[in-house]
Amino acid sequence: MEAARRLQIDLIVASEQPSTFEQARPEGLVTLDFGRIDWSVQRARRVAASYPFQATLGLDDDTVVLATAIENALGRGRNPLEAVVAARDKHLQRTRLAGGSVQVPRYGVHTIGEHVDAVAASLSYPCVVKPVRLSASRGVIRADNPTQLLEAIIRVGAILKSTDDAGECADATLEYLVEEFVPGYEVALEGLLVGGELHVLALFDKPDPLDGPFFEESIYVTPSRHPVSEQTALIECARQAAAALGLREGPIHAELRFNEQGAWLIELAARPIGGRCSAVLRFGDGTISLEEIVLRHALGMSLPSLERERNAAAVMMIPVPGAGVLEEFTGVDDAKRVPGVEDVVITAHRGETLVPWPEGSRYPGFIFARGQTPEEVEHAVREAHHGLRFVLRPASP
Amino acid sequence: MASDIRITAEPVDAQRCKFLVDRPVYQGVRRFADRGEAAGSPLAEALFALPGVQELIVSGNLITVVKESPEAWQVAGKAVGAAIRQALSADAPPIADRPPATGAARVSDDELYERVSDLFEQQVNPMVARHGGRVELIDVQESIVMLRMSGGCQGCGMASVTLRQGIEGMLNQYLPEVKGIVDITDHTSGTNPYFASAKK
Repeated sequence: MEAARRLQIDLIVASEQPSTFEQARPEGLVTLDFGRIDWSVQRARRVAASYPFQATLGLDDDTVVLATAIENALGRGRNPLEAVVAARDKHLQRTRLAGGSVQVPRYGVHTIGEHVDAVAASLSYPCVVKPVRLSASRGVIRADNPTQLLEAIIRVGAILKSTDDAGECADATLEYLVEEFVPGYEVALEGLLVGGELHVLALFDKPDPLDGPFFEESIYVTPSRHPVSEQTALIECARQAAAALGLREGPIHAELRFNEQGAWLIELAARPIGGRCSAVLRFGDGTISLEEIVLRHALGMSLPSLERERNAAAVMMIPVPGAGVLEEFTGVDDAKRVPGVEDVVITAHRGETLVPWPEGSRYPGFIFARGQTPEEVEHAVREAHHGLRFVLRPASP
Repeated sequence: MASDIRITAEPVDAQRCKFLVDRPVYQGVRRFADRGEAAGSPLAEALFALPGVQELIVSGNLITVVKESPEAWQVAGKAVGAAIRQALSADAPPIADRPPATGAARVSDDELYERVSDLFEQQVNPMVARHGGRVELIDVQESIVMLRMSGGCQGCGMASVTLRQGIEGMLNQYLPEVKGIVDITDHTSGTNPYFASAKK
């Protein structure tokens, strides 16, 4: 919203829960059902008839599908809907990419309730259980043997059945992938597709190994410190994946791995990095945000420099300190005083129940740092995190 | 001692940052639209002496600083913190009371306050109350509305939508003479937000 203000763009904000101002401000607020695409497209058509708008932007996995459907229905779609749907659905994505030039893990798709004993016995280990439609690594579990696999499937089944977010399981899907675990280091790529051409906005190293058993994110650092030849291979992997999926325009966020076999695509989403984390990115002279670039591109405005600022930057998604109700947190002031730390944001509120991965998917806060080198900013976020204290009490059963 | 003064910075965006001080700074609300208005208020004078500072709003123990420079708050914030500590350590009151305004301007802000207050009580608050929220009008200075959110609005993941698409939109519609809106809420202290904040 701040980027829109800076660009003097009027917004219509669509949300799944109605704003209490919607009736008073129908030109600025609308309620859509992210799980009911057709219904929401019709609703958007009616809104467009009364309050014409120039572009529709989705900012997370669910809304990007709906936004594309709306744009296509209004005759100005820039991505095929099936391409965006494939980017949203891990099974479809694997299907589209398997057999092509993009290296992806071998996988099988299963449904909760299905007998998988024979499958478990036939797999090679380690492997990863991954719900098809959940996001933020929720429900993603590594298994090193058949017993762990069966335990993981039971756990994932419970997560899927307890999912009360209709947007996440809109088709009541209980599907999950079992795929090979890809060893190696992981990176995240932030990019913008313009006319089918990938412009890399940032390549983030993830210095903490993501080897499981769960896959909660931790630190993102840019620029990457990996060898240029490996960065080039990773970028090429993302470019080919976006092309194979059929994406041509807009932001992408890809998770990739690299090992002695080269670059692997783990996932690619047709959206920008999550809202809070995007604050780590600045462009041009340091005053241009990722949101501004995405808005400008969506509206066909001239694009400023897509070159990231010269500084190194890091964000830490603060690990969930345990299961329980957050009573208090301390150390934020001291954390902000750590040299290089730009901001410490605790997004969890006192009284909020914190749920660790794999059942959870919400970080209690974020630490941002900026400095001369990747080493410096990585050290800054680690040191700032070291001084934070979270006091939890057991959650009521 | 200046070093005993605890200050928490909460950047809103690249231009605006809230500084929460561990002690009262000014009883009431005072907005400084430019350096000229700072005369007689040591804290405001010190802050306007910093490069790029454009506007200040002081309310209780909250100081909102607006700057035009692209400098990150990580850097700019340290100078702001030092200026706040120095001003609060001196004997003189850091913020002077607002001088009597010209008749026309005073009437205008006072009238606007009444109209905004009516709008809040009759329309805005009944709406946000449905989500357990409340919006309090703190002051109107030079046609800028200062407000504080509480209840379900404080720390809510949709607070900026409520502020910009809801409240600001209604002010634009019903009271176009309002020039701007400033939220002085400490959203980090919200304990019962209606919507959780973003996951990532």
